[in-house]
Amino acid sequence: MNTKASVPHPTKSAGSARSGLFRRLARDPVALVALLFLIVIVAAAVLAPLLAPFDPYDTNLRMRLRPPGGDHLLGTDTQGRDLLTRLLFGARTTLALGFASIMVGSLIGTSIGLAAAFYRRLEGPLMRLVDIMLSFPSILFGLALAAMLGVGMESLVIALGLSTAPPIARVARATATTVMQTEYMDGGRVIGLSDATLIRRYLLRNCAAPIVVYCSLQFGETILLAAALGFLGLGLQPPIAELGSIAAEGRSFIFLAPHVSTAASLLIFTIVLSCNLLGDAFRDLTDPRLLP
Amino acid sequence: MMLLKTTSEPLLRVEGLSKNFNVAGSWPWQRRKLSAVNDISFEIAAGETLSLVGESGCGKSTAGRMLVGLSTPSTGRIQFEGQDIGGMSAAERRAVRRRIQLIFQDPYGSLNPRMTVGELIAEPALLHGLVDRGGARDRVAELLNLVGLGDRHAGRYPHEFSGGQRQRIGIARALAVEPQLIVCDEPVSALDVSVQAQIVNLLQSLQDRLGLSYLFISHGLSVVRHISNRVAVMYLGNIVEIGPKTAIFDRPLHPYTRALLAAAPVARPGARRAGTPLTGDMPSPLAPPAGCRFHPRCPLAVERCKREVPVLSHAEGGRLVACHRWQEIPAFQANASAAQHSPATKRLLALYRDAATRSNSHTNAV
Repeated sequence: MNTKASVPHPTKSAGSARSGLFRRLARDPVALVALLFLIVIVAAAVLAPLLAPFDPYDTNLRMRLRPPGGDHLLGTDTQGRDLLTRLLFGARTTLALGFASIMVGSLIGTSIGLAAAFYRRLEGPLMRLVDIMLSFPSILFGLALAAMLGVGMESLVIALGLSTAPPIARVARATATTVMQTEYMDGGRVIGLSDATLIRRYLLRNCAAPIVVYCSLQFGETILLAAALGFLGLGLQPPIAELGSIAAEGRSFIFLAPHVSTAASLLIFTIVLSCNLLGDAFRDLTDPRLLP
Repeated sequence: MMLLKTTSEPLLRVEGLSKNFNVAGSWPWQRRKLSAVNDISFEIAAGETLSLVGESGCGKSTAGRMLVGLSTPSTGRIQFEGQDIGGMSAAERRAVRRRIQLIFQDPYGSLNPRMTVGELIAEPALLHGLVDRGGARDRVAELLNLVGLGDRHAGRYPHEFSGGQRQRIGIARALAVEPQLIVCDEPVSALDVSVQAQIVNLLQSLQDRLGLSYLFISHGLSVVRHISNRVAVMYLGNIVEIGPKTAIFDRPLHPYTRALLAAAPVARPGARRAGTPLTGDMPSPLAPPAGCRFHPRCPLAVERCKREVPVLSHAEGGRLVACHRWQEIPAFQANASAAQHSPATKRLLALYRDAATRSNSHTNAV
């Protein structure tokens, strides 16, 4: 009898796990709908200058607060600008903000997490710093940072990135700690690899999958935070279209023209919901046993 | 007066090597010392295999990790080709470390799963500038052939291979930097018995072809008997007996060595265990016993063993043994001398064979 045949593979290949991921995603209807919706939104946001029927900054006070229908498919806002156009450009801004922020956040968070796992002496100080950052609600943290750094795209991205970094750092540290205990890390050391190479080629490559999945889960959170800052007036300044500030502008006329706030809020809601559903699906589908 | 010894200098000389770990207690000020390796000394000549045997937790792996630089010694010296590794600059140490490589116990966990076999084997050679990018492919193919794999395997990932094949990849990776000494940390204990033999034979043929030295860390005595020139027996961080293989296996002197050999199973029904089996567990290295560290479990311990630490002293067969009483205790009857079946078992086996042939012919007739 060949005993080898019954021994299961302890790890699946990166390639087959990835293709299996999409195959199994296709079998999850909720996640699939969320994915399709996000693809449509992202495509519309990217192609906003081509798709938009009007100019997003073209005000027409005689046409202000028109209800949906007619020339303006979703009506107009307080300045008489076409709401559909504003929403398309707003989604563009908000998604770009969220994406840039999650990039900054994952860069900071992953660096902190990997450093804490690799250099055991740094673990205490770094993770206590993360604990302190986590003890503030992220909206408060983002608010304080945005107020401190002033207005503008860069400072907003830094504020949002810093407030998403702590939980990412935790996930990165947890994953990296298990990778650090494997023998192949010792194997890399024995042949004389430098710390930088060990971290990049051995540690990061082997913890990338769970971190990416977690970041996809955090993406919705970041967009919500970006919109919330915009709503509170700490985001980008008017007349730049941004979903949070569009919702805020419409708030003053919510009884007169409810469509402005409602449309913007609904768009935020569906984007965040789709991101969360998709992130959840990713997390469930990347079964930890499939991750080496 | 120091004499310059060039020919008689061993490849590796370890003197008084110790490793202590600081273990935190429940409170930050409660620090306890764990003595994992305690003042061990040995030498390995070029082309020689020294085996390090002992129970798990006796410090044999820690000793191996210190040799390859994964762990820094608390005290003691490691000399490679007559040069003290501890006193070297970082660059010199890197060059020496290249000469000492490690083969891991677990072939499943010791290869980076995100790198192809070709990348894994080329990596150390490229790092040390032994090949350039262009020559790496040829070198990988050469090494794969050397360990009994084909160059077609270079593009695959480690998980596509069996345990034995992975261990071959690990060996090829270690060989890529042209080492002189390979520390084999239980290289076959995670493998099937049939595969074990293949890997051990591969290690031996590589030794013949490349003139390698091995420090073979193992608890499998049959493998050790097969591969070693000399054997060192460790107990609770100490070397208790070290000497030529035949001396250790045929006439073990230290009571612990005897117990270890007696505990090895013999493939013969009714075989009685030679000597008395050990009782109890190994004491905690956090609080090693005073005197001889083996005395609480030693069947021959006397009062002196509790007070005085025995030192390694020369004994018959060119060995060193650390025991106060080795001269007094009776000779050891090795299991191997009684490898014959008893007459009763022989009769029984004959009956079985008889019955088997008869039942076969019976089923054929029906």
